Amino acid sequence: MEHAIETFSLTKIFSDWWGRAKVYAVDDLNLQVRHNEVFGFLGPNGSGKTTTLKMLLGLLHPTKGRSLILGGDGADPKINSRIGFLPEESYLYRYLNARETLDFYGRLFNLPPKLRKMRIEALLDMVGLKAVANRAVGTFSKGMARRIGLAQALINDPDLLILDEPTTGLDPIGTRQIKDLIIKLAERGKTILLCSHLLADVEDVCDRIAILYGGKIQSQGRVKELLQQTNKKQIITDAISETTVAKIKELVQEDNAECVITSPMDKLETFFIKTVTAAQQQARPTSGAVSTTKLGEFLTQPPSVENILDKLVSAPISPDIAEEKLAAPEDVVSSEAVASEARPDEQLLSELAGSTKTERPEPIIPAERVETDAVETPAPEQQQIRKSVLDSLTGGSADRSEGDEEYGGDSQAGGSGDA
Amino acid sequence: MHSIWAVATNTIRQALRMKVAVVFTLLLFVLIPALGFSATGDETLKGRLQTFVSYSLSLTSLMLCLLTIIVSIYTMTSDIEQRQIFTVITKPIRRYQFLLGKLLGVILLDVMLLGLFSAVIYTITIYMPRFTKATEAEIVEANKQFFTARAALTVPEVDVSRKVQERYDDLKRRNELPPDTTKEEIISELTKLAQLQERVADVGDRLVWEFENVKPLAETMFIRFKYDIFPNPPDSQVYGDWSAGDPQYFKYGEPPETEPYRDFSHKHAARTFHEIEFPSAVVPESGKLAIRFINPPPSPWKPGNRAPVIFPLDGLEVLYKADSFGGNFIRVVFLILFRLIFLACLGLMAATFLSFPVAVLFCLVLFFTASFSGFLIESFGYLGESVGTIYSYTIKWIIEQILPQFDAFNPTKFLVPARLLSWSELAKATVVPPWWNLDGDMIFVKAMLLLVLGLLIFTFREIARITV
Repeated sequence: MEHAIETFSLTKIFSDWWGRAKVYAVDDLNLQVRHNEVFGFLGPNGSGKTTTLKMLLGLLHPTKGRSLILGGDGADPKINSRIGFLPEESYLYRYLNARETLDFYGRLFNLPPKLRKMRIEALLDMVGLKAVANRAVGTFSKGMARRIGLAQALINDPDLLILDEPTTGLDPIGTRQIKDLIIKLAERGKTILLCSHLLADVEDVCDRIAILYGGKIQSQGRVKELLQQTNKKQIITDAISETTVAKIKELVQEDNAECVITSPMDKLETFFIKTVTAAQQQARPTSGAVSTTKLGEFLTQPPSVENILDKLVSAPISPDIAEEKLAAPEDVVSSEAVASEARPDEQLLSELAGSTKTERPEPIIPAERVETDAVETPAPEQQQIRKSVLDSLTGGSADRSEGDEEYGGDSQAGGSGDA
Repeated sequence: MHSIWAVATNTIRQALRMKVAVVFTLLLFVLIPALGFSATGDETLKGRLQTFVSYSLSLTSLMLCLLTIIVSIYTMTSDIEQRQIFTVITKPIRRYQFLLGKLLGVILLDVMLLGLFSAVIYTITIYMPRFTKATEAEIVEANKQFFTARAALTVPEVDVSRKVQERYDDLKRRNELPPDTTKEEIISELTKLAQLQERVADVGDRLVWEFENVKPLAETMFIRFKYDIFPNPPDSQVYGDWSAGDPQYFKYGEPPETEPYRDFSHKHAARTFHEIEFPSAVVPESGKLAIRFINPPPSPWKPGNRAPVIFPLDGLEVLYKADSFGGNFIRVVFLILFRLIFLACLGLMAATFLSFPVAVLFCLVLFFTASFSGFLIESFGYLGESVGTIYSYTIKWIIEQILPQFDAFNPTKFLVPARLLSWSELAKATVVPPWWNLDGDMIFVKAMLLLVLGLLIFTFREIARITV
């Protein structure tokens, strides 16, 4: 089983009532998504992305060709139990509340009650809907429904996550959270198929992309290879004096090259998150989702811990311990919020964040079972990109790729940015 | 199983929270007690009880039938049209499990509601004698003729074919056959006429019905009858001299083994059912029982009738106690439950390929057809020969073989006359095929066939709508 998803001449023709071919929604599609890769499936509206997903999952029958998903049929329950799927809109049972919704999906996976309960609480916490968990989801805004949709896709801790336009209707914090989640999951060796036309999102997280138009793949490859401008270089520094700037200009001119020097702009996304996080710190009331940048702990555990964790949870466990585990990520969040504002504390906080990490239940990792896929497959650059995004989240010292002015640059890894 | 159960509980939640079931429940909660007060019948306690049970059970049955149709269709079509099914069917659940989960949910909802309402009806019925100012005689009558379950001896159909053939030959010999009619039509007319003659007593004439293998299990038995009279007397009252006892005596005038029972003093209103109670001791050892009716002419010392008395087709039977009211009530509720199961399967099957309004219309048409199947089948008999043949092989076949006949196993048909619905009778309504010559209905078998059809359609259809 070389690929997580593989299609062979997959074709879907929509015919009219008389059976005459009308539209080639998907035309002779040969798609290969490798294990442990974040694959971006792009295309304008009506290019056949969703149709492809529906065929992969057995919701539509292909007119021609076939597809393999995790080496099997997309309608097979054994395969389904390892897949998380978020459709293009969150189709939820309006009369269930958020907690019941997740419980229903958890029961479909036959998760034992204790594990189910733990995951539900962790996911509600992660998507910031804990406060409204007992409200019928029919009363939710689109963004809140999207969050529940995402939570249901993660309840089985899937090996393969299929996300169809995951960020539509989400506020920037939610969007950012999904991107971080994707990166985290990829680090744990999961495969993610991301279907979107919001290019900025895709660019931030995807290893490879395919661009679909008219049901055919027009272009595919590594994001880096497709986007990197090899004929330009970018240097990011701390605030430096005008004389140094002049010297640099001189140096560059000696090399017969043009040089533009400016102070980089904060990305609007970063600014927005900073502002809202600050407001949250002051505990302004909101009736909507409380955006957090936490990730469900069971999703971020290293793969080898997962089994043990599940066993621990399914064994009798005192609720206090579970509470403690859930509470752990909050430290990370608050440190991030502070770190982005107060630079002098940065080092201390990054140490703190680092120390909370080392306090996690790593000591109980058994040596015998370590999955190495997660480490091997992604190229070093990708890892660095992920690291930078994550670190900025957790208050680490690495730079954001866009070159946030406040961060000292010990890294030149910001290659994938919009330079 | 866990996934079937998850879908089932979700379906129940849906029905309850979307307020579909709540509306029906509230309506019934208002209507049933209201019926308890307003039902008066013929002003006797028995009449009140019969009216109440008849109306409240019919109403509950009708309401739950409609509810089942709506809920079973809604729960499927809304999942498909609002696409919640995308996130459900991509979880580890097979499509048949999804459909079975829906079915289980609807049936459980039905069981809950039916249990609730039949408990309410049962309680009101049991306590009704205490709340009404009934006389002692009325209570005794109600206990004997309502709070019981009686098996029935029905009149065996008399073979008139020889008589008919003779009459036909006679007409033919005398060249009096009506023109422009086929032999079949004439024979059918003559048969009807001959059968009617077996049920008519002219003034002063008598009719004797004979029953075999009578095993009286109770102390008393009942003649249940309905008169028709033409021309109708001004007060619609009919006199009758009834006797019950040894057939040897009534037919051949031999000395009877047992002393016959006689009732020569009563008059009864025409066109409604009445009962005459007689002791079981009149049945002789042979187990043969004869019932004799004499149409008494008016005489100076005793009033009588001036017109022939006719007994309709279902106009006479002999009843005896065979079980309790409670046991009978439970089996009647089962009968309704099987009807609901059938409708749930029908609704789900329709919803696998039709949209909500179309599926509801489709199911309602079939529901009402099944409710009036007897009437419909009979009316096809009046069609001309050529059209009739087409119908009898298409629509009539569907009504008889595919659809159940709700009217043939109507719950009130058993409880109102306190007639026994035995377990074997229940089996006849649910699983015994009609070709066993037992008038079975196979409602459960038919429901399962529909379910299999629904499963097939649902397994192979595309769940997602086409969007490009």
